[in-house]
Amino acid sequence: MRVPIALAALLCAALTAAGAQQPVAPVPKPVPPSGITGTKGMPGMQADTGKPAPVAKVPADTNPMDGMQMSGMGHGGMSMPIPMPPGMPMMPGLVGLVPSVSSFLPGAGVDPMSLPAVKASSVARLKDGDTLDLTAMLVRRTVRGHAFVMYGFNGEVPGPLIRVPQNATITVRFHNRIDLPSTVHWHGLRLDNKYDGVPDITQAEVAPGGSFVYKVHFPDAGVYWYHPHVREDIEQPMGLFGNMLVDSPDHNYYSPVNQEQALMFDDLLVHADSLIPFGRESPDFALMGRVGNVLLVNGETHYALNAHAGDVVRFYLTNVANSRTYNISFGGAQMKVVASDQSRFEHEAWVPSVVLAPAERYVVEVRFDHPGSYALVNAVQAINHYKGEFEPEVDTLGTVTVSGSAAAPDFSRQFATLRSNAAVSRDIAPYRKYFNKAPDKKLTLTMQSTALPLATVQFMSIDTAYFAPVEWVDGMPDMNWLSTAKEVRWILRDDATGKENMDIDWHVRQGSVVKLRIFNDPKSFHPMQHPIHLHGQRMLVVSRDGVPNTNLVWKDTALIPVGSTVDLLIDASNPGAWLLHCHIAEHMGAGMMAVMHVDPR
Amino acid sequence: MILEKVGLSIGGRLFIAVVVTMLAGPTGPFDIPLFATPSVPAARGVARLVYASSPFGVAVTADGRARYDVQVTASGLPAPAKLGAFNSYVAWEVTPDLDKWVRLGTITNGKSTVGQAELNKFLFVITAEADSTASKHAGPTVLHGTSPSGWLQSFLTHPLFRGVY
Repeated sequence: MRVPIALAALLCAALTAAGAQQPVAPVPKPVPPSGITGTKGMPGMQADTGKPAPVAKVPADTNPMDGMQMSGMGHGGMSMPIPMPPGMPMMPGLVGLVPSVSSFLPGAGVDPMSLPAVKASSVARLKDGDTLDLTAMLVRRTVRGHAFVMYGFNGEVPGPLIRVPQNATITVRFHNRIDLPSTVHWHGLRLDNKYDGVPDITQAEVAPGGSFVYKVHFPDAGVYWYHPHVREDIEQPMGLFGNMLVDSPDHNYYSPVNQEQALMFDDLLVHADSLIPFGRESPDFALMGRVGNVLLVNGETHYALNAHAGDVVRFYLTNVANSRTYNISFGGAQMKVVASDQSRFEHEAWVPSVVLAPAERYVVEVRFDHPGSYALVNAVQAINHYKGEFEPEVDTLGTVTVSGSAAAPDFSRQFATLRSNAAVSRDIAPYRKYFNKAPDKKLTLTMQSTALPLATVQFMSIDTAYFAPVEWVDGMPDMNWLSTAKEVRWILRDDATGKENMDIDWHVRQGSVVKLRIFNDPKSFHPMQHPIHLHGQRMLVVSRDGVPNTNLVWKDTALIPVGSTVDLLIDASNPGAWLLHCHIAEHMGAGMMAVMHVDPR
Repeated sequence: MILEKVGLSIGGRLFIAVVVTMLAGPTGPFDIPLFATPSVPAARGVARLVYASSPFGVAVTADGRARYDVQVTASGLPAPAKLGAFNSYVAWEVTPDLDKWVRLGTITNGKSTVGQAELNKFLFVITAEADSTASKHAGPTVLHGTSPSGWLQSFLTHPLFRGVY
């Protein structure tokens, strides 16, 4: 919970005068790192014209840096300001401090103009038995008029959209041509464990210049995504992500629509002409995760779509940001949610907006009734730490321009109907008898810290008296930037054994149904929401804070707000060693992961 | 009642009620201890904020405000008629400046669920009313509390200064 910073500062000063010490537990030995030296285990559709993508254009009146103050600080030998929110100067006790890691940016010494310009995502329509070459490579991306060396799969951001029929198996020949080790994780797929892409658990990381062959199986219809599982805190925001759409053989799986669009939401943290560097030895921004100040859809600063009046558009929404949770809507256009990570909902529902946590996916259908412009927005409630007030924050991410010509065909009748999906309910029915059983496993989400700047410790001790269930924005980027995985350890704690993170080592039998209760402790040093992802299985969110969920959907990632207790029912159907972790990249990089072994029958 | 018998002051009883609420309760992070007014000194209660039904991980409005159902547990409320020409107790979500009152529903002793609270910060107020469907409050306040987010508004209600943390 947060209190006005001015008052907090007074108390901080008093505590400082009293010689307060940081009351925290020592940080255990960090998870064995990999990557550059870092932490391992971390885990739009356009025709490919072969032409360079248009340079991202930022409307002149939407400069994300407008009004921001820059706190200049040396960083690994370079002067790099951290953008602060409007009216929020850097805390006096933090001025002049730098993170305890050296800095890293992709392609050191490489002239961006020597690289190919990034391309928009192509569609790779594949059938069972097909092969795809997927190369992680350096690309040139232009953001706000400045060219940067970044990453892309096959030179594209997002990477190619892989569209396959359900139950297909494809071969993906992955080639690592970036300057970091990498892998590919096929997020949400219940595939063969050895192709899950997690270093030290399912494979060795792929060194720069190396390759790895994946057999990727798609047992469930839905929307999925792929990304590296080595230093995601760097490789993801630099451009390594792509969608996978798995089509059901049932032609009525979804309602008919006029268009389909896959939107991948991301953000990028930039100063006027520079990317804010990453921690080389371990992630920085370890408290909250890196929250960007330039919001992107499919890698562009302004998404654009044309439609006809009355068009129904199905959007596949994926959050690939390191930390940001979105609240997405389409300028008041009527919207219904029809599916999420791994299946359709039991019942479609009208929604005013979509809450999209990192790694989550939702499928929505939107009808644009009238000619005109509809703004695609992210609308949240920020907290002004100085005034102690909530402040609405709205970012326009794009525009849907609707012409006066009428939709053809007209799907208004189908759109007006909220469908119930009996097949989903039938699939879930055998699991209902487990909904009310006692939890098989309990996890508490918390954190420890040590050696953080005193000003940070003192402020946080007071500031966390009020915690928002979801931190939508980073209100204190200076404190966040200075925290690294050396000072911050995010924790999954097994209530039964007291074991934490990679010491947990659960074993369950294949075919068992595991009820996992997760409590997000609001009394930790820095309570924050966590999107918890389980690899290789599927799960149901059966209750939140004791309230049963009456509209179920198969998930692989579930948002656990601060203070909440969430019951997950895991269908442990897929044998192997599977990672369970927070999908805020920096939280995982700071230890927040465990392994669940599903032992073969 | 026991506290009355041992002769504790209203303030003392309030203090103990708050401490017991915060220490005993299910320690939900979004519990609002409710304070009685002098018109109903024996009344007490807790309002728990529970996310409203939503397909998503949290229930929010289009502009990002959290949407809560409010589970009220109350005791010691007399029959409304004992307070005057009233027949029900109505729960309200009220802006901190008392400018806007939003009717959430009726409550009784025991457990009641009303909804939905959608303000960032609000007072939770229960009044006795002559009309259970009233859209404007008119009767006396019997119980009141502040949403946890209200601590942003009033530093002095911070648990640090109540000796709870």
